[in-house]
This record gives sequence, C-alpha cells and structure tokens, in this order.
Amino acid sequence: MTRWLLALPVLGFLGFALLYPLARILALGFGEGLGEAFANPYYWGRLAWSLVYGLGSSLLCVLLALPLAYAFRYRFPGRDFLLAFSTVPFVLPTIVVAIGFLSLVGPKGALGINLYGTLWMLFWASVLYNLGLVLRPLVTLLPGLELPIAAARTLGASPVRAYLRVGIPLLLPALLSGGSLVFLYSFTSFGVPLLLGGPKWGTLEVETYTALAYRLAFPEATALVLMQLAVSIPVLLFYLRLQERYSLAVGTYGEPKSLGARASRLLFVLLGMVFLLIYSPLLSLFIRAFERPSAWISVWHSEVFTPAGLALGNTLAFAGLALLLVIPLAGLYAYAVWRGNRLLDWLGLLPLMVSPVAVGLGYLLAYPRLRGSLLILITAYALLSYPLLARALLPSLRAMPRSVVEGARVLGASPWHRLWRVGWPLVQPGLRAGLALALAAVIGEFGATLVLQRPEWTTLSLAIYERLGKPGQGPFEEAIVIAVLLVLAAGSLLTVLGRYRAT
Amino acid sequence: MLLRPRVKTWRFGVAWLLVFSALFWAIGFQIATIGLAQPTTLTVLTHDSWALDKSLIAQFEAQTGIKLRFLKGGDAGAMLNKAILSKGAPIADVIYGFDNTLLSRALGAGILERYRSPALANLRSETILDLQGYATPVDYGFVALNYDKDYFRNRPLPKSLADLAKPEFAKLLVVENPATSSPGLAFLLATVAAFGEDRYLGFWEDLRKNGALVVNGWSEAYYTHFTRAGGDRPLVVSYTTSPAAELFYSEAKPRPSEPPTGNLLFPKSAFFQVEFAGILKGTKNLEAAQKFIDWLVSKPVQENIPTQMWVYPALRGAALPEIFKWAERPSEPARLFPQQIARDRDRWIKEWTQTVLQGQSPKR
Repeated sequence: MTRWLLALPVLGFLGFALLYPLARILALGFGEGLGEAFANPYYWGRLAWSLVYGLGSSLLCVLLALPLAYAFRYRFPGRDFLLAFSTVPFVLPTIVVAIGFLSLVGPKGALGINLYGTLWMLFWASVLYNLGLVLRPLVTLLPGLELPIAAARTLGASPVRAYLRVGIPLLLPALLSGGSLVFLYSFTSFGVPLLLGGPKWGTLEVETYTALAYRLAFPEATALVLMQLAVSIPVLLFYLRLQERYSLAVGTYGEPKSLGARASRLLFVLLGMVFLLIYSPLLSLFIRAFERPSAWISVWHSEVFTPAGLALGNTLAFAGLALLLVIPLAGLYAYAVWRGNRLLDWLGLLPLMVSPVAVGLGYLLAYPRLRGSLLILITAYALLSYPLLARALLPSLRAMPRSVVEGARVLGASPWHRLWRVGWPLVQPGLRAGLALALAAVIGEFGATLVLQRPEWTTLSLAIYERLGKPGQGPFEEAIVIAVLLVLAAGSLLTVLGRYRAT
Repeated sequence: MLLRPRVKTWRFGVAWLLVFSALFWAIGFQIATIGLAQPTTLTVLTHDSWALDKSLIAQFEAQTGIKLRFLKGGDAGAMLNKAILSKGAPIADVIYGFDNTLLSRALGAGILERYRSPALANLRSETILDLQGYATPVDYGFVALNYDKDYFRNRPLPKSLADLAKPEFAKLLVVENPATSSPGLAFLLATVAAFGEDRYLGFWEDLRKNGALVVNGWSEAYYTHFTRAGGDRPLVVSYTTSPAAELFYSEAKPRPSEPPTGNLLFPKSAFFQVEFAGILKGTKNLEAAQKFIDWLVSKPVQENIPTQMWVYPALRGAALPEIFKWAERPSEPARLFPQQIARDRDRWIKEWTQTVLQGQSPKR
C-alpha cells in the first residue's frame, strides 16, 4: 500500500509531464501511413545503427570505468577534482564538443590525424560524454567490496577467483545501472554522431526529429517512436531484471584508502594522463578560449547577444528550481521502487527513452496556455534529470544490509528513526553521486529542447547557440569562452558536491 | 526518550519537502496564469535568429502600453510547424520569420488572420509575394556561396555553379542538408532554378562525386568545417550578408579594411529569401497584433534590422548601414514561385537525399 501511496506523486508527474503530451502526439500518427513507415528499410537501418552505437558505447564505458573506479579507491592529489570532472562534459552542448574534437583530430586538427567520420571519433565522443555516468556511482560502491572479498580470501579463494566470483557479482548492479543509462543516452542521442560523422551516422532520433519538427509527418514519427521504444524497453527490462537479481547486500562504506606519498603521486600522474587523453578535445577548447583574452571581457557586456552574467544567473536559477522538484521526485521514486513497485521501476526511466521533440510538441498540444511559462520549463528540466538521481540512489538502497536495519529494529528503533539514523547515512554516497549526475543534466539543460525559449531566459548553452548563429570571429570566440565558463561553473558545483562529507 | 528529537527532525524534513514542492507548483501556476491575466501582453513566435535593439522594444511598449513577449520556436521551419500544430489553441498572437519557401505551407494551413498593413505600399514590390494580404514581408536576404579570401588568394575562384563539380574544386565545399536547414533548402532551390528540373540532380551527383560535404545546419557548416573556423572547406553555403557580419564582429585591432570572406554571386546561384510576419488566427489581441506588424515595417525597426539579423529591410528608403557595402546584392538571383516550392519541395528534398546522402544515381 505504502509503495503505491509513495509512487502517486511520481506517477502524477509522469502523467502530466510525459504520458499525456506524448499520447496526444502519437495519437495523431495512428492511421494511414503507419504501416508504410514501418516497412521502410531505411528506418530499420537507422535503428540497427542506433543499437550498435548504444550497446557499443555502453560496453566501452563500463570497461573503461571499472579499472578507473579501482584507482579512485585511493586517496591521491586531485582525486575529488578528477572525479567531479568526469561528469562535466555532460553539460556541454554537442556543437561545442564537436568544435573541440575537430580542432584536435579533424581534417586540419592540431594532432595531424583526421578522425572525422570514423567510428573512432564517434565512440570516443560517447565515452567523453558518458563515462561519468558509470564511474561516479561505481566509485561509491567499491568500498563495500573489501569485506566480502577478504572473507572469500580467508576461505581459501585465489585473488582472481575471489574477484570473479564475489567482486564482479557484487558490482554488477552498479555496472548495469550505469551501463543502461549510457545505452539510453547514446541510443537516443541526437547530435553527437551526426555532428562528428555526418548524415550517414544519424540515429533513429534524428529521423524522428526531422519527421516531426520539419515535416509534421505524424505517421512516420509515431512509427519511429514506437520502434525506438520497442527496442529500448526490452533492453531495459533485461537490465532491470539483472540488476534486481544481483543486488546483494554490500557492507560498509568507507573513505578513500590512504597511499604512500610516492604511490599517490604516481597514481595522480597516471590517472591525470588517462583523463588528459580522454578529455583532450575539451582541452583544445580551453586553448582556443585563451587565444584572444579580449573575448573574456566582451562576453560580459555584449550588446548584441545575451551577456554572460545574465545567462549564468539564469542557468543557476533554473538549476536550483529544478533540483527542488528533482530531489523529492527521485527520492519518492527510488523509495517506492525499493519497496517493490515494479511498474514504477521501468516507467520511471521512460523519460530517457522517448524522443524529446515528440514530448515538446505534445506540450504545445496538451498545454497551450503554459507555453513559455516557468512551470513547463522546470517540468521539462526535472523530467529529463530525475531518473539519473533515482537510478544512482537505487543500488545504494538495494545494497543496504538487511541485518543492520533489522538490528536497529531489534534494538527498539522506530521506523522513522531507522530511516534517519541507519538508512540515510548508508545511502548518502549514492545520493551524492546521483545528485551530481542530475545536476549535470540540469545545467546541461537536457530539458530545454522540450520548450519554447524566451530571450530573457537565455541560459549558458542557449547563449552559445545564439552566438554560433551569427558569422564572425567575435561571436565565435565568445561562444567558446561561454563554453569554458559552463565547464568551470559545472566543474566547481560538482567538486563542491563531491567534497561534502556527511559526519 | 532520547530518540524523540531525531524523529521530529525527520518528520520535519518530509513535511518541509512536501510543503516546498506544493509551494513550487503553486508559484508555477501563478506565474503561468499571470501571463494570461494581462490582456495587453502580445506573444510573438519567432525563429531562433530573432534579434532587435532592446531600446526599440521598450519604446514600443511605452508608447502603446502593449507588453511584448517573445517565444523562440527553433529555426523557421520548425517554428512554423509549431504554429500549425497548435492551430486550434494558438500559442502566440503573431508569428515572425517564416520565409517564401514556407509561405505556401503557412497559407495552406489556414493559421493566419488577414491583415493589410497601411505600410504595405511603402515596401519593396518584389517582397510582396502574398497578394491576399495574410503575410507581411519584413525583410529579405540571399542565400549564397561564401569563400575564404585567404585560401583563394593565389588560387582561381570558381566562375559558375557548374565549376564546383570540377576536379580543381574537389573537396572544397560544405553545404547544409536541405531537409534540416533553411539555407540548405534555399541552395537546393537555387540549383533547381539554375539547372532546371531535369538537370539539377545530375549536378548534385557530380558535387557528391567531387567530395562536397553535407552537414546538418548552418552553425555546423560555418563553425566546424569552413576554413575560417579551422575546418578544411574554403567554400560554404551561407548568406550574402555574412562577409559584412564578419567585418562587423571582427576582433582584430585595428579593424581590417575588408572582410576576410567574400560572396560568389554567379547568375542564379543566390536564392532570394523573404521573411514574413503574420497574425495568428484565434488571437484575442487583434488590434495589438496589427500595431505590432505596423511597427515591424516602420522605419526605426527596419533600419535596426540589418545589423541585428543580417538581412535587408523590406521598407523602401530604409537606410542601410555603411558596413552593408560588403553585402552586395546579386544582379541575377534565383527565384521560384512559392506555389511551385510548396508543390515540389518535398519531392526535391527526397530526390536530393537519395542522390547525395544515399548515393543513388538520379533516375533521369
């Protein structure tokens, strides 16, 4: 009963912000032409490529994140910063990342190798964007592995065997949770493959967008949305089932382990190099931003474009407002799912599976009076970011050892007290990791594509697009400067969030 | 007993959260309805490139008592579609920014209210493409090829559209996808006007074989592939005003005497584009909407438009800024009738996609 009561606000929100508007759009497409669109082999080709891109990215990120997460078990200089930085690229508009990539490894790139249009670049970009999605939650779960592995070793298992039979199964929930998010983000990604590879690498999402935004071809769009769901829902159900089956209790959480001075310096150099390699396209952006320092001044009092100060203020204000909605939503959602609400479990991920353009047009049909209102803006932001917090929270909740909770109960603690004194501290690391991801999604304004923009509400990423819409060196340099500002703002917020330690 | 205060803290936290979210929604609805309560707020749906001097807008608001609220709805095509989609319950009072490639679609969808501005008589006659009086021309421009002067300093420039398919200009051109970009569509239409229905696809096939690069939108073409921004393509489909804008926004000190880019104005290679404004059917602020349209084609706004949106004013006699001497107008632009565009646009885009993106040889 409780689990449904708790789920009610979440379901209400989903109905308002997603299901009803989406249904309004999809309803327009039923009828003639639907079958024809389904029969089009071109769309099936797009679907196949989206699937390859999604699964490939997901696998790549998980494989990379696992060893990295182990390195982050230790305390070394710059650890918190690097960890925070792994989520930062998430906030950047795709065109800015594309500029970074092409100025490094484009046809006239600084490195002299041209990767434009190759799979290397596409998957590299995917790792750059999504690595943090897997890495952050993983790092919070790793400390719990110590005890079980030590136990297995005591019982005579070899290190390898202990790791394969105990460590990996224990980590699986977090790996799957991160992996499924990466899959969703790359499977439904819009800009990245297109910008870095050209039209032949367009995903299904691109076709949906063109069909809806440019042609109002509803039957085709409905077919495309259904196709996309038909693939992503089974993949997700599979992920979720695995996640549930393998979620075993993991022991205590701990602080990062200390290392000797030399070893920690070595680790820093090593990890710094790995990060430098992965994120080098962003570095080339930084270099370009400092080529002409005058842009750093003009950007604040631009008369033609939105000044950076206003855009920064808007970004922070909207992010703050959105978090007010995201935190209760994700909290209720994770708690209800933890208590066994299966329907909500996969329904809650629906926002990441559905084409934003369909939802955005649905808003216009369903709530014409709310167009351009703050309410619909914040709703859109929250819709596309709360799943991140919720998914990161869940493994922590599920891994909460029953024995500790039951122990507290036997000792006479009330339900509320158990939650406050036992549950809360145990989910804190997951909460922080999830909050970082959700915050990054809010600052990156994933929801912005859903709503009509008002010029006075221009945010940092919109200020970038605004400048990249006019030809000239001035606007271009200012756009790069704002992109760097966006990285700095997100980076410092996320670092602060990572520093905060519960006592 | 010691536990009590803790329990209260937790309950307090939950109550606080509930109150906070309730408050949030209440405020949200409040803000949403304030917008409705003021009858004198005029909502204007525009494309993303909309820009105008803020003092002009403030002046309009002060003089008429009408508050302006602008909504940006994507690029011109996406914006118009939003207006068409929400026909029953319009999302704005006025729409600005749909061009002659979209005119017939706007008229055919029946979303516009008829209004003949008294200022219409003062507008350039070639911009008045809707004789029924639903769409008021506000500005016009030309989609044209730009070249990087540095690159072509010691190299010959192409002299006609057909030259672009020659080996010496291989892999030099970047164009936008006409399915997703309005300059891309305009350039495709220019090639239809220049080569005719039966030969334009052959030309595009040659371009493809000659290594023309296709990208999704203007920003991408100009800022990631054009040589000026560090790409490897010295020829780009842009606007005739882009060289002037390059000079205007130049950061070099002292400001260079001429733009770093130039226009290639072969006969029928620059597509003539007119941007219109119209009143959306179902508006409750008809009178205010009419005032707004009149104001859009008034002299102060028309003279501000060139350096804000980099288009030419539709008003005859509106002074052009000095810098527009670098925005030459082609003597022989490409033109197509809006009706013809409306009838064949989707087919052209489809054939183009098959030829250029999917690499099939044209059937003819």
